[in-house]
Amino acid sequence: MSDAPIRSATTAPTTASGPGGSIYDLGYQSYQGPRLGRRSAVVALYTQSLRACFGIGRGGRAKIAPFVLAGLAVLPAVLAVGFAALAAQAGGAGDLGDASPIRYESYHGLVGVLIMLFCAAQAPELFGRDQRYGVLPLYFSRVLTRTDYALAKVGGLMTALLIVELTPYVVLFLGRVLVAPDPATGISDEIANVPRFVLQGLLVAGLFGGLAGLIAAWTPRRAYATAAIIAVLIIPPIIVGIVGQLSSQDLARIFVLLSPADILDGTNAAIFGSIPDNPVVASINLSGWVYVAAAAVGIAATVGLTVRRFVRIST
Amino acid sequence: MSLIALSALTKHYPRGVVALDGLTLELEPGIIGLVGANGAGKSTLIKILLGLLEPTAGDASVMGLDVRTQGTTIRQFVGYMPEYDCLPPDTSATDFVTHMARMSGLPSSSARERTAEVLRHVGLYEERYRAIGGYSTGMKQRVKLAQALVHDPRLLLLDEPTNGLDPAGRDEMLGLVRRTGTEFGIAVVVASHLLGEIERVCDFLVAIDAGRLLRAAPLGSFTERTGVLAIEVEEGAEALTAALTARGLQAVADGRTVLTAVADDRPYDIVRDAVAELGLPLVRLEQRRQSLEDLFRDDVPAAPAGAGTSAGAGTSGAATPGGGAPA
Repeated sequence: MSDAPIRSATTAPTTASGPGGSIYDLGYQSYQGPRLGRRSAVVALYTQSLRACFGIGRGGRAKIAPFVLAGLAVLPAVLAVGFAALAAQAGGAGDLGDASPIRYESYHGLVGVLIMLFCAAQAPELFGRDQRYGVLPLYFSRVLTRTDYALAKVGGLMTALLIVELTPYVVLFLGRVLVAPDPATGISDEIANVPRFVLQGLLVAGLFGGLAGLIAAWTPRRAYATAAIIAVLIIPPIIVGIVGQLSSQDLARIFVLLSPADILDGTNAAIFGSIPDNPVVASINLSGWVYVAAAAVGIAATVGLTVRRFVRIST
Repeated sequence: MSLIALSALTKHYPRGVVALDGLTLELEPGIIGLVGANGAGKSTLIKILLGLLEPTAGDASVMGLDVRTQGTTIRQFVGYMPEYDCLPPDTSATDFVTHMARMSGLPSSSARERTAEVLRHVGLYEERYRAIGGYSTGMKQRVKLAQALVHDPRLLLLDEPTNGLDPAGRDEMLGLVRRTGTEFGIAVVVASHLLGEIERVCDFLVAIDAGRLLRAAPLGSFTERTGVLAIEVEEGAEALTAALTARGLQAVADGRTVLTAVADDRPYDIVRDAVAELGLPLVRLEQRRQSLEDLFRDDVPAAPAGAGTSAGAGTSGAATPGGGAPA
C-alpha cells in the first residue's frame, strides 16, 4: 500500500480528515493505494470468466455441469491408461498402440460432443448474465473498454474449453509414456503428438468457443442461447450428411466448410493423418489445410463479431 | 479548472430524437443537482460524461479531460450509479462490489478492503454476504452506491439515486449522498426529476428541459420564490380568496383549494387570521411546489410582483406530488 498512488495530475489529492485531524467516521476513507488500470482490470475479468466457466465462486450447483462434462471428457483416457497399465502388469505388451480404440487421433470423436455441451451449458451464463441484469453499464463506466470486455470473456471461455479439451490428451500422453518399457523411449515415441493435439485443441476451443460466445452474446435469454448453440453445432453435420448423399461433391464441400463440427473433424484428420469420422468429410477429398484455414477464419470472424456486438450494444 | 465543461454539447438519437441540444455549461466541484423532467436529457448527459455515449456534436470534458479521447482516464476517477437495476441477483454484495473494484483496476487485496469499508459506509453489514436477489430496494440502492464509490472516485455521477425508495429510504440515501459530498470531498452530480429531493443535498442546481439548459445557479437563487401555499377548505374557497386578496396577497381559487404565494413568513399569519375570521372548515395547509417546468421557465427576475405569476402557475402545477395525509 506504500506504492505511490497513480493519480491524475489534474486532480488535487483529497484529504478526508475532519477539523483538528480527528477521525470520527471509519466508514469511508479515501484510497491511497495503487490503481493498476486497464490491463489489471482485463486480466481480472479474464480470470473471473475462466473461473465462472467452471462454476468456481458461484456456489455448488453451478459446478455440477462443468465438472461432470470435464470428467466425462477425461474418462476414456483414464480408462485407456488404466487398462494398459493392468495389461502391462499382467505381462502383456505394455503398449496402448494400435489395439486400443482410444488414441490421439480418435479422441476428438470422443471429446467433441462434450465440448459442444460444455459450450451450450456455460457460454450463455458467461455472456448473457451481464446483459440480462443490466450490469454492462457498470463495466463500461470503468477503465476497461467494450472491446476489452468482449475479449476477456471470449478468452476466458476459450481457455476453459482448452483445459477441458487438452486434459484427456495429457492423461493419454503421460499414460503412454509411463506404460512404455522405458520412459526415455516412451517420450521420444510420443513427443511428436504433443504439438498435434495442442494445435487441434486450440482450433476446437477457438472455433467452438468463438461460435458459442457469439451466439450467447446475441441471445441474452439463457435457454434460447443454449438451444441455439446446440443447434448450430449439431444440425449442420446432419445437413452435410444429407447433401453428401444426394448431390454433387462440390456442393458437399461448401456445406462441410460451413459446418463447424465437420471443419474440426477435417482438421483432426489432417493433423493426425487419420480418416475423418464423418463419411462425407472423408469422401470429399479436401486438402487438410483448407479445414485449418476454415477454422482460423471462423475463429477470427466469431471473435470479431462478438467484439462488435459489445461495441454496438446500447447501455 | 472546472470539474465539468460542456460546449454546445448535442446528442441526437436515431429517429430524430434530440436528447441534448447545444448545452454549454461549466461546473465547479461541489454537490451539483441535475434536475429536469423525465426525458429532459439528464441520463444522456451523464452517459456522455462517462464516455458511454458519443456526442453527436460539441465538446465535453471532465476534470479537463476530453470525453472523446480520454475516456479511460476519466473513468478511472469517476463513479457511476445507473438509474436502473444493474445487480446480478445470484451474487453477494461483497463479491459483486469486490469484482467491480477490480474492474476499476484495484489490486485484489485492496479491492476486498475497500469493499468492506464502502459497504459499511453505505450501511450494509451482515447482509452483505447474502445473495443480492433477496435484498430490499433500499439495500440494492446502497449496493449500487457502494460499487460507484469503491474505487474512491473524484467525481460521483448518480442517476436518480432515490428511485423506488420509500420516504425513510430516500432520507437515508440523500443523507449518504450529502455526507459523501461534504465530508469526503468527492464531487457529486445527482440527477433527479424531484426538485424537493435535490435541493436538500445540493449546493448548485442545473435545470435542463428538452436537452436545453434552463438555468444553472447556486441553490439559494432557486429557492427564494418557490413557495406556494395550498389552503384546502371544505367550503368558502371563493370567500377566502377574496379575503386574502383584500389583505394584499395574490390568491387563486382552484376548486376547494386556494393557492397563494409565500415569499416570507408573513402570509401564514394572514391566512390563519382570514380562515379564523371567516370561520371556514380548514382541511389542509400545505407548502406546495410548482411543477419543475413552471418554476424554471419563469425566468423573470425575482421580484414581489413575480409572486402573482407564481401563484397563477401553481394552478397548473396541481399535479405536483404533495398530496400527503390530511392534516
